[in-house]
Amino acid sequence: MQRLLLLYLCCALTAAQAQHAGHEGHDGMQVTATGVVMNENRERLPNGCDQISGDEKFVIHAGRDYANNMPGVIYGMSQHEVRVRPCSRVTIEFINEDETRHQWMVHGLPKYLYPAGMFHIEAMGGQRQSGTFIVPAEDRNYLIHCDMAQHMEKGMRGQLVVGSGSGDLWAVTGISDAFRRSAYLPRISALLVILVVVVAFLLSSAARRRARPE
Amino acid sequence: MNWLRRHGLWIAVLLVAIVAWPPQYYPEGLRITLTRWFGADSYRSLPESKPSATLQPEVFCPPDPSGWRNAQTIDGVDVAESKPCVADNPYAVAAFVRGTNNVSQQTLLASGLTADAVEKGRDLDGDGDPDEIHIRLEVAELNGSSPIDAGPVTRYAIAPGVEPGLWVFSPKFVGMAVENFESQQARYSLRLPSPAIRIEQGDVVTVTLENSHYMPHTLHLHGADHGFITADGQGNDGVPATSEMPVMPGSARSYELTPRVAGTMYYHCHVQPHVHVMMGLQGLFIVEENRPDNWLQTMNIGAGLVRVPSQASRESYSQEYDLHYLDLDQQLSERIQKSNDPRLVTQSMHRDYDITDSTSDYFTLNGRSFPYTFRESLIVADKDETVRLRVVNGGAKGIALHTHGHKFTVTHRDGVPLPEAARAPQDVVWLATSQRADIALSFVNDGLHAYGRGIWPYHDHQNNGVTTDGIGPGGNISAIVYDEFLGDDGWPETRGVSWDNYFTAEYYRREVPVWDSYAPRLLGEPGMDGSLLLRLLLTGAAVGWLAALGFGAVRRHRG
Repeated sequence: MQRLLLLYLCCALTAAQAQHAGHEGHDGMQVTATGVVMNENRERLPNGCDQISGDEKFVIHAGRDYANNMPGVIYGMSQHEVRVRPCSRVTIEFINEDETRHQWMVHGLPKYLYPAGMFHIEAMGGQRQSGTFIVPAEDRNYLIHCDMAQHMEKGMRGQLVVGSGSGDLWAVTGISDAFRRSAYLPRISALLVILVVVVAFLLSSAARRRARPE
Repeated sequence: MNWLRRHGLWIAVLLVAIVAWPPQYYPEGLRITLTRWFGADSYRSLPESKPSATLQPEVFCPPDPSGWRNAQTIDGVDVAESKPCVADNPYAVAAFVRGTNNVSQQTLLASGLTADAVEKGRDLDGDGDPDEIHIRLEVAELNGSSPIDAGPVTRYAIAPGVEPGLWVFSPKFVGMAVENFESQQARYSLRLPSPAIRIEQGDVVTVTLENSHYMPHTLHLHGADHGFITADGQGNDGVPATSEMPVMPGSARSYELTPRVAGTMYYHCHVQPHVHVMMGLQGLFIVEENRPDNWLQTMNIGAGLVRVPSQASRESYSQEYDLHYLDLDQQLSERIQKSNDPRLVTQSMHRDYDITDSTSDYFTLNGRSFPYTFRESLIVADKDETVRLRVVNGGAKGIALHTHGHKFTVTHRDGVPLPEAARAPQDVVWLATSQRADIALSFVNDGLHAYGRGIWPYHDHQNNGVTTDGIGPGGNISAIVYDEFLGDDGWPETRGVSWDNYFTAEYYRREVPVWDSYAPRLLGEPGMDGSLLLRLLLTGAAVGWLAALGFGAVRRHRG
């Protein structure tokens, strides 16, 4: 399966490369010394869009510094939420301030425009990379993340909100809570809870006994 | 009559309790006395064996639609055939040989590597191969936790259903860590073991560690000739206590060496090494002898067959294999799966975990345990070949490496050639932790070096090593397979039992009788003895009733 996908990816990409050699801002994948842009789209309209509603540009910084000393967060972005109008053409200027790779990847886009439903920017350490895509007409929240192993889990998880959105995604750094959250309590807390239950029971029965007419 | 009304009930209940009590639990003396009076009890059939569970075995040998196994020439690099069913991407192999900065854009795209993954520069000694080598390594976590999913993320199974948490050094690839957004399966390039690295004696080598993980790490070049500090005064030995600050998350550091001596060496992280090395941050580091036109396959993903061997290797050997043994402690590896907060993970791994109380549970060869080893780490050869094996034991315990059907010769230990007199054929070699051996495996059928064609297992002969958490066959079992015993798809034509059950997670979860595939009636799992349970329940009810009667009588008496 992985190989099929890779083969498909490679064929699709090399075909796209050959078709668009020398052009800027075409579909497919460009791998350069500074990074990668995949499935860029400046012109083709999603279904339900009569025209591009407007151009929006975001400069997004990424790296350790943007974890902003949030407890338990290692990697972050200068904004974890990107709000755009439906059918707008969105340009992301992605600036990687770490010395390792980082990615800005959107998932769940329509597959007839974006192979695998994905728009992807990747910047090598210390590099900037920019890419443009057009968002669909529906109000919806899309996952943004860095898909390097554990980068999403350790902070690089965001959301793209088109129009009024469809409700926050879980575990967006600084925006929504983790779906699975550790218990930050010492083990003795369980005993404490049992103790409180017993004390409450005794107090309540004592109170009832006093209230009962003899 | 009155007496009967008064005592009849409890006596009847007592009788029920006595009669219901299963005779197999009568006191031994009573049973012997009864036997003397009545003889043995009548025959009661033992419970039937449970029917075999219907299991869905995985595909033994995944197909190879893109022909990665085939011999092919890519960008002028002759990539040898890889006969087992799962092979490395030959475009990545070619890119590692030419340098990712020198291959065509098409090959680079097909390899999936970044343009700077392995850069090769000038030929300094004018012998026809590049001597300036810049290697970049990242750090990846496999089977880790997430704030969303209950199961592990960036999944990598060492055996069916066995997904221990792992850390690995990995070559620099573009794109996602997983195969696709839906699957959570790690892509082929992210795997155990960390890649085997090959450089040439005298090369001017830079290895940059780009720490893409969430904990501090370093690189220590164990056994390879390297200075204590780099040319610009940075730490170069990888040891936080003596040479340098660790490389922090999101940061990078370059290590330098120009090794004067060739040999099979080793690299690993040296931060909290009792934890980090045992999580998988270790790989083979091979310094090849200097030869003209020596274009080396700088990285060998997942170790195994070297598809573009060095010139020195070609002089004496028909093939070369990298074999990386590693055992894992489940009580360590699961710690990255229990919490997503890196502070809790750190506390659990570096303070709560006590390696002095540890035991090894999983035994891997080139990052897999049986039966997955048979997809990747078969040594496939034919008569009259001599194959070179570069072996490292990265595990916590020693291994007793044993070959069926062959006696091999250890030519080098820890990278240093042994004198001729010490090179006697043997069929078990002991490898202490972090020790390396270069082995010449001869296929000459002379009754000493080899006994003829077949499928000959090779494995750690310490018997925990041939299990996966105590379930066998498992662990680091693989095989030496002669050509005529290998199918076209790369799967060996074994002659023994069905492997269907070995390719299920249920088998390694201890849910399947070990001989279920061929002796289900003979030695299957017995069903339940329903009548025994019924008798015990009846006895229990009677005893309970008696107790209630007794309790009531006491209360009446006191009242």
